[in-house]
Amino acid sequence: MAITIKVNGIDRTIDVDGDTPLLWVLRDVLGMTGTKFGCGMALCGACTVHVDGAASRSCVTPVDSIGKSEITTIEAIGGTAAGARIQKAWLDREVVQCGYCQSGQIMSASALLASNPHPTDADIDDAMSGNICRCGTYVRIRDAIKQAAQSN
Amino acid sequence: MILDHLTSGAAGPIQSPSTSDLSRRSFLQAGAAAGGGLMLSLNLPLANREVEAAGADELAPNAFIRIGGDGQIILTMPYVEMGQGTYTSIPMLIAEELEVDLKQVRLEHAPPNEKLYGNPLFGGIQATGNSNAIRAAWQPLRQAGATARTMLIAAAAKRWNIDPASCRAESGEVLHPPTGRTIKYAELAAAAARMPVPERVVLKRPEDFKLIGTPAKRLDAPSKVNGTAVYGIDVRPPGVKIATLAQSPVFGGRA
Repeated sequence: MAITIKVNGIDRTIDVDGDTPLLWVLRDVLGMTGTKFGCGMALCGACTVHVDGAASRSCVTPVDSIGKSEITTIEAIGGTAAGARIQKAWLDREVVQCGYCQSGQIMSASALLASNPHPTDADIDDAMSGNICRCGTYVRIRDAIKQAAQSN
Repeated sequence: MILDHLTSGAAGPIQSPSTSDLSRRSFLQAGAAAGGGLMLSLNLPLANREVEAAGADELAPNAFIRIGGDGQIILTMPYVEMGQGTYTSIPMLIAEELEVDLKQVRLEHAPPNEKLYGNPLFGGIQATGNSNAIRAAWQPLRQAGATARTMLIAAAAKRWNIDPASCRAESGEVLHPPTGRTIKYAELAAAAARMPVPERVVLKRPEDFKLIGTPAKRLDAPSKVNGTAVYGIDVRPPGVKIATLAQSPVFGGRA
């Protein structure tokens, strides 16, 4: 079925089953591979995108549930104020190791910062606990979020 | 992609490449690149003598250096960056000897081609593992950079009709200190591609290193904070279909 969703400000019409996960649409239909597949069950956070600004696991988000909501992905997060600050802090702090989870980490961190400009450690834990990093970059992630918050 | 079943079965003791190993083989071949630039291909040394003896002479090049007319140095890398930093450390080896800024060096993934990029230590499979990428690259990639530098200096000296020994290289340029003349690598690339490949090159002394042994920003980090980094799962060869298993929703279900 033809479905139209708004991704990074652009209406995209795709022909997929309504229960197709948004992640599959992004990666396999639209070719936007910055958003990563990790577990497929909302357990790891690698697939995190924003749905109307809220961090959401695209691997368990049926595409027909999106309606008129606006999707933002890692490819466009640098165009938001919070996203740009997060990306800069990520580079300043050399957060990335293998990098596979970092699209999701950055999307979760950007959503946090946009809604809570000065998060406490507990706020960071709450917002980031669903994003797994096998390299163990958690300490640098926390530092980078704090740096981004201070540059507000 | 660390292949445990292969790495644990590597035959014989692992040995570091020695100078005598390297001199037995011609590492570098030069030719005019398609765009009129300088292209160097090189064989990375095998760390295992048994494997080396079996087919060293037939080993196809498994990495390439290109210096384009835009002055950018591109290295096609057969080793995967998995967070271990090879996409920063290997460019440092080249940039050190080539006398360029690290930001001028760019890496490309090697395309899937076991003939060109197969790792002989893994039976010809195009694979990264065994912690051997930087160990194997240490001497030949510095040698590759030094060879390219030598050819660029030779091309500049020929253009100026002077002794190459009176020139030196720095920050992507060849300099002739007595006269203050300089010329950028980009302008020399095509001419350098026609210069003979030097049989021997002089590697820098460790005390003269400017990059090796210093902290560096990871070259792969920017692409990993904006979604442009290409991982194995992101590769889309032409004509390849996307497939997934259709799993039964119930335990013990039958088709």
